[in-house]
Amino acid sequence: MSPNDICTDITNKLNTGVLIIDNQYNIVFWNRYLEIHANKKTDNVIGHNLFLVFPELPQKWLKRKVESVFQLNSQSFCSWEQRHHLFELQHTRPISTNSHFMAQNCTFLPLERKDGSDNVCILIEDVTDVCHYQSMLNKTLEELAQANRIDGLTQIFNRKHWEECLEKEFSRARRYQHGLALIMFDLDHFKLLNDTYGHLGGDLVLIETAKVISSLLRLGDLFGRYGGEEFAIILPNTDIVGALDVAERIRLAISKNVINFQESEIKVTASVGVAVISKEDNRHEDLISNTDLALYDAKASGRNMVCVAKQLVEVIKIE
Amino acid sequence: MSELNLNEDQQDCLQEIINVAMGQASDQLARYLDTFVYLKVPSIEQVSTLSLIETLSSNENSASVVSQGFFGYEGIRGEALLVYKPKDSDRLADLLGYEPDELSVEEQIIDLSSILTTTFLNVFAKQIDNQMSYSAPRLLAGSQSAVSDHLAQQSFNWDLALKVKITYQVTDYSFNCDMILFIPESAINNIKAVIDRILEEF
Amino acid sequence: MSFSVLVCDDSNMARKQVLRSLPEQLSANAQLAKNGQEAVELLRSQQFDILFLDLTMPVLDGLGVLQALKDENITPAIFVISADIQPEMQNKVLELGAKAFLRKPVQLEVLNTNLKNHGFI
Repeated sequence: MSPNDICTDITNKLNTGVLIIDNQYNIVFWNRYLEIHANKKTDNVIGHNLFLVFPELPQKWLKRKVESVFQLNSQSFCSWEQRHHLFELQHTRPISTNSHFMAQNCTFLPLERKDGSDNVCILIEDVTDVCHYQSMLNKTLEELAQANRIDGLTQIFNRKHWEECLEKEFSRARRYQHGLALIMFDLDHFKLLNDTYGHLGGDLVLIETAKVISSLLRLGDLFGRYGGEEFAIILPNTDIVGALDVAERIRLAISKNVINFQESEIKVTASVGVAVISKEDNRHEDLISNTDLALYDAKASGRNMVCVAKQLVEVIKIE
Repeated sequence: MSELNLNEDQQDCLQEIINVAMGQASDQLARYLDTFVYLKVPSIEQVSTLSLIETLSSNENSASVVSQGFFGYEGIRGEALLVYKPKDSDRLADLLGYEPDELSVEEQIIDLSSILTTTFLNVFAKQIDNQMSYSAPRLLAGSQSAVSDHLAQQSFNWDLALKVKITYQVTDYSFNCDMILFIPESAINNIKAVIDRILEEF
Repeated sequence: MSFSVLVCDDSNMARKQVLRSLPEQLSANAQLAKNGQEAVELLRSQQFDILFLDLTMPVLDGLGVLQALKDENITPAIFVISADIQPEMQNKVLELGAKAFLRKPVQLEVLNTNLKNHGFI
């Protein structure tokens, strides 16, 4: 067999569509793959205008693309991620997908003919599988990312993600000289509550508390579960006065909230610690430290109350 | 880590080849876009891959990065990264000759980047008696992890990056673009061999 | 007949490319300039018949040289050799008094045809 024959043979056995057009957009050649998948007769295709044979093609866009190949004598591409398909060809995948047509990656190649005229070769590759699996993967990754951030029980941020948020907010506050406040609260006598009502009761209290507090917060505030019965809120652009206000409302809301569990009405209170970012804080952990100490003070001073980080007490007295 | 370690003559030769490639590519681009492209002499510098990833990821908001693999004869191959900051996506479609709603922003960036990369590399290849083929261009998310993950997935070691800073200014629209050519060690040696061959002709 | 030649380009390789494409009698005593500033200074102090000029150079670029020579009425035969080949640039260069615009990399035949057309060989 001559090299020419071999090439022709291979071209017609390829699992890729090969379509050649001239600079008038007439079809000069197509291979067997296309004959089969396009379900058209070769006689009705060769020598005819590309856009008459394939009316589904976006004419203006495609002409611009092909022009670039002719003018710049350079390859061009179109992937399924940009446009799902160009040519409406049936896919032959056993799996069911969202579209009847095959997802395509197309390559446009400049071809120089010996007589000087230019042709463009369009390679059409079936990537339906890739498209399908990639879409599924994206969806799963989305769900995973979401799950990774959320505490399963209370559906607010988990500690890991919440701390990442704090780190970002801290550096942002430093960079733009904004305020930043932190509230941490801990449910009082929670172990006793668990022993009295069982874990189911304890869980319900956590869930309900998270709901109540969420509704009190602004859009930019970041609410997370810090520990078993410990919660934390990041308040960007907030000063100590604003933070105290929110903290007191939180304490009040929790103390008033009645949780109906089985035959009982559960009531709970919280100790709350508040702090704001200060010049001495080098890292976000320092801010957590200060708030935590304030929280400890609240516990030590009788519970069901709000305490402010010690270094800020002077500030408040002046105001 | 290896260095290109070009002597003065080799450096000069490479710069000249790139200048010529830029000139012709700009001309082709200008004809295609039907506008005038103001060309600055591209600066070439070697950068370590690590510092490059840092630079790329420090620009959180603005960078769009399109990557495209290229491969030619004699083992000369690599990956071109176009770091690109479009200021106005409507103008971009207009520049490329499309109606703004005809194609998405992503498509516009990918198309433009592919044109910039292939026109430049085609002329560059011709200068060194070579010919380039390309893989499909891909838009990388601008985040640090996306870019460094992508680089880590490459099958060869990114020892060296050649940063060719190209500034394109078209009349009534200006954009800057950094083209970064990642070249594996084996290809670097091949390029040196080609440069030496060219210098021998003198 | 011998003419005095000045080759101005920031690239060593480009300067060599021009020199080796020139006939012997022109290249033998040719002088070189690394940028536009050097070229203008040389042109002020000496008589040159032919100037080969690059466009993209530091300190003073090709257009700057053309303008300076025009202003000071220094008139060698100027052949611009550049990588920037856009039509608008070519026109600009001719308007500023260049005899011809040659694209890089400069070809021996093209260079010699141009020299012939302007009576230098």
